[in-house]
Amino acid sequence: MDFPLTDPFFWETVIQGLLFGGVLALLSLGLNIIFGVIDVVWICYAELIMLGMYTIYFLYSDYGVPLPLAMLAGILVVALLGAALHYFIIRPILHTEPINQLLVTGGVLFFLQGFATLAFSVEFRNLGVSFGSIEAGDMYIPTTRLLAFIVSLVAVVGLWLFLKRTYLGTAIRAISQDRDVMPLMGVSPGKIYLVTSALGGGLAGLGACLLVLLYDIHPAIGLTFGPITFMVCVMGGLGNMIGGFIAAFIFAEFIALGGFYAEIEWGYVIAFAFFIVMMFIRPQGILGSKS
Amino acid sequence: MKSTKVARRAAVSALGAAALALPLLSLMPATAQAADPIRIGVIYDFTGPFAAGGSTAAAVGNEIAVELINEQGGVEGHKIETIVADAQSKAEVAINEATRLLDQENVDLIMGVFSSAHCVPMAQKVDAQQKFMWANVCVSSAVFKDKNLKYVFRGQVHSDQFGWASCTFLQEYAEKKLGMKPSDLKVAIIYEDGPYGSGVASGNEETCKGYGMDVTLKEGYSATAPDLSSLITKLRRARADVILHTGYNPDITLFLRQAKEQGLKWKALIGHGAGYGQIDKLTEAFGEDANYIYNTDPVAAQLLDPSTLAPGLGDLTAEMVKRYKEKTGANEVPPHTSMGFNQAWIFFSDVLPRAIKEYGGYDPESLRKAALDTDIPVGGTVQGYGVKFNPPGHKMAGQNERSSPVVMQYVDGATKIVWPTAIQTMDPVLPLPDGHTYAR
Repeated sequence: MDFPLTDPFFWETVIQGLLFGGVLALLSLGLNIIFGVIDVVWICYAELIMLGMYTIYFLYSDYGVPLPLAMLAGILVVALLGAALHYFIIRPILHTEPINQLLVTGGVLFFLQGFATLAFSVEFRNLGVSFGSIEAGDMYIPTTRLLAFIVSLVAVVGLWLFLKRTYLGTAIRAISQDRDVMPLMGVSPGKIYLVTSALGGGLAGLGACLLVLLYDIHPAIGLTFGPITFMVCVMGGLGNMIGGFIAAFIFAEFIALGGFYAEIEWGYVIAFAFFIVMMFIRPQGILGSKS
Repeated sequence: MKSTKVARRAAVSALGAAALALPLLSLMPATAQAADPIRIGVIYDFTGPFAAGGSTAAAVGNEIAVELINEQGGVEGHKIETIVADAQSKAEVAINEATRLLDQENVDLIMGVFSSAHCVPMAQKVDAQQKFMWANVCVSSAVFKDKNLKYVFRGQVHSDQFGWASCTFLQEYAEKKLGMKPSDLKVAIIYEDGPYGSGVASGNEETCKGYGMDVTLKEGYSATAPDLSSLITKLRRARADVILHTGYNPDITLFLRQAKEQGLKWKALIGHGAGYGQIDKLTEAFGEDANYIYNTDPVAAQLLDPSTLAPGLGDLTAEMVKRYKEKTGANEVPPHTSMGFNQAWIFFSDVLPRAIKEYGGYDPESLRKAALDTDIPVGGTVQGYGVKFNPPGHKMAGQNERSSPVVMQYVDGATKIVWPTAIQTMDPVLPLPDGHTYAR
């Protein structure tokens, strides 16, 4: 094995880790904004992404809709699903115990998986689209993953600007800081929650646009990403978008470099061990506040 | 979806038939009651990732065997009645379903089971209860190895044989096709880390090393891993000539996709069943890139020359193929269908009649004795191999000692047998032709 700094395979692994981190970061954004504002964890978040992937697949493959339009439709459909999830499922139990909310969204997870199995069958589906790779010396950088990385960066900056620079964004931040006082100042929490849910859903839809290029679509795809996305959010500080963003890259690099120097499964073991240690050291997450 | 529907319909029909039959039974004379239906708990994965990875296809094959035998009047006058259960691609569900079928549904035996991860614990549990299990699809050698099971039998090929077959194929063709001595051949072994992948990989390692090949990398991964990039980087560094891969789905497609994106090249890629048995899916996902992939698996019955088999088996295979296409609308009939069909057919046509006629019934003890008497010569089943089960005390007691896989290769969407040479339908394309995406 070469010295790491001169070993192109080492650098390729670092870059692959960064790119996978981009995927995880994007997935964590929507989950974090929902928790940060509404204080509810959508356990079924990855299943919303799955439905977005199916939407894009069917529009593109069966109805011949151009891919960018199909993706836009995917984002809109999942945004609507997010809003519907809040309006019909979360809203009635918003003030009950958190465990009830967890159980309900967990129930939605199984419902959506079952629904997808019945409606779309258990078959693996594939968009069959590949954007190739960029070759740099002995290194290969997959274009799709690079795209995911860039979209992830743009999404986090865009979200930050939206929350900081717009009236709606300011209202969302305000209600996340004090959900009891804001109604006294004329802000309707119900509407803000609905908008936030649509926003979270839209981000899940954005995640679907990228995952549909990287993975097969099947009803159980959520199981691949749901747990790891949740862990990234918790490690970053549940509800803290920047924390989630950082945690995604830490997690991905542990997996990549652990897999490179040991076995790929060890990468996950090391990442999860780090997660457990972090939960002891900073149970509130990397950037989470103790309150 | 259609096949799932079919399976579900079969389950509902079976339950419905059982419910309707109950009041009628009381009206029948005593002689008719002697020919009670034989109730079989059939377990496959109809949901979750294993469903489309071959489990549903196997279940349909199993179902066709039941239909055919019932159309012939059943076995010794007994109709076969199936209670179908969905293991949901989860080991704990599979075990619970086996328990439910045996203890609550009071089935006479358990049949089916796709995943080795389900098969290993289920076989031990069923055997401990002294109930009978007939495993159709799962391949892990660990199901039987050193377990001395008495009531579990499997006609199917086992994982050590998968590993042996692909390495022996390479050993035979290394010089002829690659111009390399087997000892110069660099081989990488990658596998999903469940009993299935681990079992095949152990067989690969043992045999390839036995032939003096250089195993440059052997590594397992979780079938649900969302990223295999570091494994592929290591494979590139290892510069293996041949990659031996055992996986389910979607890990196989993830591997092929990431391998392409990361510029991984090889002279041959040999898969071992599961996702590699689904040529239509591979072609749909990868188009021409799926060309020349090898798959080591029990053969899909329709690929065999009927003249090499016992009389009537060719027609039986043709009927299986016809019904599979009718039921699923599929063009390709995967090897899993043959596995589900063949094992069930061996049981219905050979073991079960003997149990009833010579041992007085279909209780676990009679079935066990009848299974141990099985002696089908090579060419006596639709998949070509013969059947004789290792006796109690053998380190693989209950496993068919005459089973054998073949090595197939996909060319332009068609499946060809390339090994064993005696039954090959095409000379192997080795190495990958220049210009192929993965060619070195």
